Amino acid sequence: MSRVRIAIRGLTKTFRQGPREVPAVAAVSFDVHDGEFVAIVGPSGCGKSTILNMIGSLVEPTGGEILFDGERVSARPAPQIGYVFQKDTVFPWRTVERNIALGLEYRGLGRAEIAARVREAVALAGLEGFEQAFPATLSGGMRQRVALMRSLVVDPEILLMDEPFGALDTHTKLNLHAELLGLWGARRQTVVFVTHDLSEAITLADRIVVMTRRLGRIKLVYDVKLPRPHDVIGLRESAEYLKEYGEIWHALGEELQERAAS
Amino acid sequence: MKTRGRAGVWAWRIAILVAILVAWEYLTGIKAISRTPGLYWIDPFFVSRPSAIARRFVFLMSDNVRLPLWKMALSTVQSTLWGFLVGISTGFVAGLLLGRSDRAARVFDPFIVAFNSLPRIALVPLITMVFGFGLLAKIVLAWSIVFFIVFFNTFQGARSVDADLISSARFLGASEGQILRTVIVPSTLAWTFASLTPSISFALIGVVVGEFIGGESGGGLGYLIIQSLGTLNAGT
Repeated sequence: MSRVRIAIRGLTKTFRQGPREVPAVAAVSFDVHDGEFVAIVGPSGCGKSTILNMIGSLVEPTGGEILFDGERVSARPAPQIGYVFQKDTVFPWRTVERNIALGLEYRGLGRAEIAARVREAVALAGLEGFEQAFPATLSGGMRQRVALMRSLVVDPEILLMDEPFGALDTHTKLNLHAELLGLWGARRQTVVFVTHDLSEAITLADRIVVMTRRLGRIKLVYDVKLPRPHDVIGLRESAEYLKEYGEIWHALGEELQERAAS
Repeated sequence: MKTRGRAGVWAWRIAILVAILVAWEYLTGIKAISRTPGLYWIDPFFVSRPSAIARRFVFLMSDNVRLPLWKMALSTVQSTLWGFLVGISTGFVAGLLLGRSDRAARVFDPFIVAFNSLPRIALVPLITMVFGFGLLAKIVLAWSIVFFIVFFNTFQGARSVDADLISSARFLGASEGQILRTVIVPSTLAWTFASLTPSISFALIGVVVGEFIGGESGGGLGYLIIQSLGTLNAGT
């Protein structure tokens, strides 16, 4: 197996709510290997986004540690990380082209190089003809495409995604799954993808970390055995997919029952 | 259909304007039936008449008068623009600085509230004392009004910049300076722009009030208005 890229050791986060301390993540440990696509799945409120935010240095852990290539993460986002939010974070005052160019501008690249790389990204995302469009005139799916390309154009080694397709309809979502897998297949970034959608996790990930409903613990880590590359739409009818889905769904189902019992 | 609609709207507007002017001219000409001569139903001494105003306008525009109307108007417009421009730029910078620093915002908050609740007109005598009877006092007065309008809007805008936009810029490798330039300023500007329309009219109010008090050396339309009041001249 390839080397461990992100090591998460006893990661803990408690939030203060007045006098009470609410645990969000409790002593979570897992590894993400280089070039691996890991999904974190769990019911809402299970702390999955908090884990991602701690990996991205957006939230400071209460305990435990996160190691990138064996080194502790700093308080600032590491430069090799790309992050795609669930919320629309495309800058509304910039055109599609200039949104995608942001990271390249921040790095102080020359105009010609920025233009060339943006053109390439626009073509990859199928956004030709919309280069000069402002985000307000685009659909949610296209805006999220822009956000994705904006993160990818600077070639991050690690990509953190927090329910990036959560707000999209099923059809748009499936298209974006196929595109994301295509882009990932070409570059093999290390991806940590948070979602509450189990079928999305099975479609995309190599490994799935299933969280418990409360107390922010890991229920199980599941290796997806589906052959790659696969067709995201045809996949859903395959027997292997249904078998994997059934197994994880069973584990998640226990979580939902526990909630009913408590 | 559309062009006809627009032409129709303009036709109505012009018709209404003409009707008002004709009624004004005609009604102020009706003499009251009375033994006392020179008594009117609606006295043009107080409300003047369009024809008289036109004559007065031509007279005041000419260089025969000591303070030509166009010169006074120019002075008012110039002072308004200066107060407006200086007010916007200082208000924007102050709003941005305080909006992005929680500590500074907390420290300055009572001072800002106190100064803003002060009616600016009450400051006119003081401003006149400090800056003299002249152009500067008018501009300072306009500035003191515009500054706070722009300041409060910018302050709100700077405080409500979406934290996720800042995070996403940071993930794309932005330095603090680049975040300020590419995220905070553009997203705050939307709020600042919203304050510009009221600012220009308030700047004008500040200037005209300043001219009421400012005397001849300050000049301007406000001075002409006060001068006409002094001679009980409504434009005849």
